[in-house]
Amino acid sequence: MTAATIGIRIRALREKQGFSQEDLAQRFGFKDRQTLSAIETGDRRVTAEELVRAVEVFGVQLDYFTDPFLLVGEGRFSWRQSGLVGRALADYEVDAGRFIAAFRTLAPQIGRDAPLLRRTLALTSQSSFDNAAAAGERFALEFKLGEIPATTLADTMERELGILVLMVDAINGISGAACRLPELDVVLINRRESPGRRHFDLAHELFHILTWDAMPPEHVEDVAPKRRTRVEQLADNFASALLMPASALDRYGDWSGLKGDGLIKRLNAAADELRVSSSALRWRLVDLKRLDRSTAAAIREDKLRNNGRTNPEKEPLSPLFSKTFISVIARAVDEGRVAVRRVSYLLGLAIDELADLFKAHRVDAPYDL
Amino acid sequence: MSRHRGPVLVDTNVIIECWRVSAWKALTSGYAVETVEMCEIETQTGLQRRTREQQIDRKMLRDTLKAVHSVSDAQRAGALLKDEQLRFLDAGELMLWSHAITRPDDWVLCGPDKASLRVGIRLGFRERLVSLERLLSDVGHRPTIELRQAHTQKWLEHTLTQLALLEKKGP
Repeated sequence: MTAATIGIRIRALREKQGFSQEDLAQRFGFKDRQTLSAIETGDRRVTAEELVRAVEVFGVQLDYFTDPFLLVGEGRFSWRQSGLVGRALADYEVDAGRFIAAFRTLAPQIGRDAPLLRRTLALTSQSSFDNAAAAGERFALEFKLGEIPATTLADTMERELGILVLMVDAINGISGAACRLPELDVVLINRRESPGRRHFDLAHELFHILTWDAMPPEHVEDVAPKRRTRVEQLADNFASALLMPASALDRYGDWSGLKGDGLIKRLNAAADELRVSSSALRWRLVDLKRLDRSTAAAIREDKLRNNGRTNPEKEPLSPLFSKTFISVIARAVDEGRVAVRRVSYLLGLAIDELADLFKAHRVDAPYDL
Repeated sequence: MSRHRGPVLVDTNVIIECWRVSAWKALTSGYAVETVEMCEIETQTGLQRRTREQQIDRKMLRDTLKAVHSVSDAQRAGALLKDEQLRFLDAGELMLWSHAITRPDDWVLCGPDKASLRVGIRLGFRERLVSLERLLSDVGHRPTIELRQAHTQKWLEHTLTQLALLEKKGP
């Protein structure tokens, strides 16, 4: 491990536990604080005895200082959730941080460096909702997302922007998250959500990634519409326009003469095709002034729920994580850069299930342990 | 080949595989088999990381192992500072190597994970890495259930060559 990593973690714990450098230097038995300072900046390596002393002083496990798959003060998350209590989310954040850190650490080892540059959207919290929607439209056009942007967005984000998009089995209440590390952006999507929700979350989180510095998202945001901040509303407008650009809606013709069941039927069919929710489509048509607001508001919610299906068929789940992620893991395992059992813990899967995961992503399984 | 007379250090994967192919008795009758506490723990139900687990009786395991070593934080810290690749091993494998490198005797280590084997090469112990198939064969035991590929001698030889080349190429 690099001396810098241990130094950063010692410093993070020192600050968290309220020690000054002088205090801690004394507890370590150093003659002066300069020795500790050199350790914290990575200029001096710790000895085994000092590492054990750090374990005793801080009351943590040794792994805290050495685990390469631990995010300590490096990752910032923004969770889209409803009704979650703090502890469960904090625990899940640690777990998610581990597999994100695994990718971050292993990818460069197999020659896959993080992107050199980061893209940003030129929007601020002062931008109008129309500006955000226009940015979504342009994104779909400039990145050639095609007639059904929802189906190409994740690949485009990974390929063109270097944003890792991971399908996960999140705890109940979490629909997605954006995570920013110094050198990597990641979007997590709960694969058990409906397709419409998943795609909307993905586009919404993309907005956060592309505007993170100008509009840092909240650590936890509630999906309940009444509590949405301006930044969240901007993200929603961006997502809506990206997934349903005006050009993609043109093929459905004129909506203005439609009412009642005819309107509902058309909404549900078009939403299915676009892989969005009927409700999201309804409001997008209102924003584009292709549907009258009062007509849209008069539609009963239950007529649009599950895009009009009373017994929605369960779609096959997307494979966990992503092909990019799994390819990195497979190669790292094959080259002996990480142990299979370690990966099994990280991903929360049995060793035998890893083989199924590699197969699902059409990635060659490294070897049969 | 002649049977190794010194200690044989085994990891979790090897103990589970021995149980699966009913070779534990042959192995522990033929060798002074030793492990570390963490590997012993990982062989127990719920911690094997396998969909079909082996029922490994802990008492029987203890009774048949020559020794089960505890590994101190100081040993683990020393090992981790010696080679940073140890950070990428599973807990049991890390403990086993942390123990192994402190021993002056003529141990061999049986643990088929490529990351563990690569650490062995990095630390200069390539000649001490052995396959389960070879150990069993040297005491005249041929399992009736086929060993998984990573426990065979041919796979070990091929893998050590691959990993040594990767080490030569650098990070």
